[in-house]
Amino acid sequence: MKLDYIMYSLNHVKNRKMRSWLTVLSILIGITAIYALVSFGQGLQIYMSELATEMGTDKLMIQPKGAMAAGFDLDFYISKEEADFISKVNGIDEVIGMYAKAIEVEHKKQKKYVFGMSLPTQGKEKDLVYDMFTVSMDQGRELKSGDKLKVTLGYNYQFANKIFSKAINIGDKISINGVSVDVVGFFESLGSAPDDSQVYLTEEGMLLIFPETEDKFQYVFARTAPGEEPSEVAERAEEKLRKFKGQKEGQEDFIIQTFEQAIEVFGTIITVINAVLLLIAMISVVVASVNIMNTMYTAVLERTKEIGVMKAIGAKNIDIMFIFLFEAGLLGLIGGALGILLGYGIAKMGGSIAASAGYGLLQPVFPLWLTIGCLLFAFFVGAFSGLMPARQASKLKPVDALRYE
Amino acid sequence: MAMVNHKTVIKLENVWKIYKMGEVEVVALCGLSLEIKESEFIVIMGPSGSGKSTAVNMVGCLDIPTKGRILLEGQDISHMEESELAQIRGRKIGFIFQTFNLIPSLTALQNVMLPMVFQDIEKSEREKIASNLLRRVELGDRMRHRPNELSGGQQQRVAIARSLSNNPDIILADEPTGNLDTKTGKVVMDFLHSLQEKEKKTVIVVTHDPTLAKYADKVAYLHDGKIIKLTKR
Ligand SMILES: Nc1ncnc2c1ncn2[C@@H]1O[C@H](COP(=O)(O)OP(=O)(O)OP(=O)(O)O)[C@@H](O)[C@H]1O
Ligand SMILES: [Mg+2]
Repeated sequence: MKLDYIMYSLNHVKNRKMRSWLTVLSILIGITAIYALVSFGQGLQIYMSELATEMGTDKLMIQPKGAMAAGFDLDFYISKEEADFISKVNGIDEVIGMYAKAIEVEHKKQKKYVFGMSLPTQGKEKDLVYDMFTVSMDQGRELKSGDKLKVTLGYNYQFANKIFSKAINIGDKISINGVSVDVVGFFESLGSAPDDSQVYLTEEGMLLIFPETEDKFQYVFARTAPGEEPSEVAERAEEKLRKFKGQKEGQEDFIIQTFEQAIEVFGTIITVINAVLLLIAMISVVVASVNIMNTMYTAVLERTKEIGVMKAIGAKNIDIMFIFLFEAGLLGLIGGALGILLGYGIAKMGGSIAASAGYGLLQPVFPLWLTIGCLLFAFFVGAFSGLMPARQASKLKPVDALRYE
Repeated sequence: MAMVNHKTVIKLENVWKIYKMGEVEVVALCGLSLEIKESEFIVIMGPSGSGKSTAVNMVGCLDIPTKGRILLEGQDISHMEESELAQIRGRKIGFIFQTFNLIPSLTALQNVMLPMVFQDIEKSEREKIASNLLRRVELGDRMRHRPNELSGGQQQRVAIARSLSNNPDIILADEPTGNLDTKTGKVVMDFLHSLQEKEKKTVIVVTHDPTLAKYADKVAYLHDGKIIKLTKR
């Protein structure tokens, strides 16, 4: 193949600066969006699989169905009786129920609404929770049994202007729904703003301040026995609890999943959103393709005489075809390359926005295949759009083309 | 000039060209016959619309006749496919046009190299040949100029260099001096003449200018698509 066409095509793209730029711009937008979206999608997948392995693959999550978020609405819960029932299901080693509730926290006359959560303080139950959430204290101490009016706080409370305008210190008193409690510790960052603004109490403390939560677990976790397949155990437990509660299949008011399954649901939602955005990006690529086609038809028309001259000096139809295909591909390629640069910038910016919003773990990734794929895609979209104009150019009769003014 | 032993390179046998414009038929050539020998300098003259360009274009394999035969070095080209014609054009024929027809986006050097690109000639070789040709037409100092940075005469010299780049046997020039002043036109004609004299190339020049007949071995006068007079020197 005569790659010397590049010289000719390049010259033309260069010489028609304004029009070339407008055409390039149209494909640039699509590629920018695709590159940024896919890099985030990839980052999300890594984030989720990291999350799943961190939680451990042997854990199950039992949730009430229909709740917006745990602790938001006490009408949705798993009862203590149900939790006890699950703990007896074959293949389940232990079960822990945790209370969670939207609470009002007051510090120096400032009020905030956050989530409060109960933490087990001893035994296997504590092990189970700490196994899933491998965080240690940043400052102070953990809650221990007997700590009724003591709390530990998420990472962000230690700083001014993050949650409250004034920072909280160990030993400070804050009030929870009007009840004064002592702050004994702060957790390390969990990587997301909602997690880092939670308040943790002991079970006794929770029930003391919020007696209405008694028996209404918002989070129930179970550890499956070694050697059992967690997803099978989840299914078995779901079926048993359904029968226990006398509910029909598909109409149960709870859900039992492994962490992987739970995260998958979240992942699926994001993936669907991502796919919709990608679709929009694709539509813009189609628009770009029409644009390139239009530019190339104009180019063929403008250069009809030139085509005639090239044929007169020995260009075969296929040579003319390739010249115009290459030129169209080049427009695509330039748009693609610039789109990748811009997309990279936007994804990086998105990453730092996510980080400043407290989701530092969710970062875009830029695998090589994505970059090469986008470049090839852009080139082929260009070349494909140039196909019809290039064919038209190649089919021109030499004499007619030469006579064209 | 002695014409003995020179073989025929181009032979037109009863060539017709009829253009169909909807209902109307335009007869551009009607039964044109002409024989051109190797290393001859032919001048074709005739009034506008008499079919000069049509005839030359067919000799140059840019078009095929409606009827009749065209033999190029004994090979019948009247029924050839476009790809075969392109091949012959590229290798055996050099075109020079009235309006120069250089590619505006390419430099003089690139313009001269272009016919060799289509013949798959290596880049270094192309560059060497093209720059030599440009020096021969005394444009060694204008190689990196684009056509719009050159005068008409300079552009036509680039076009001549381009027509020679694949070292063709036949040079076809359709009114090569039409857009040039007398002095520049003479330079161009002298150069074409030297190609015939020194390199034994067959040169066919279409012109309106009777003074150019002095370069010719043969002058063919066309009228209404036929040769009405053929003079030999
Ligand atoms: N593509 C075409 N379609 C229709 N008619 C054509 C076409 N090309 C040439 N003709 C006609 O054929 C006739 C001969 O044209 P041609 O261009 O060969 O004349 P010419 O002798 O070169 O004239 P000039 O000296 O003006 O260049 C003219 O009547 C012209 O209108
Ligand atoms: Mg003419």
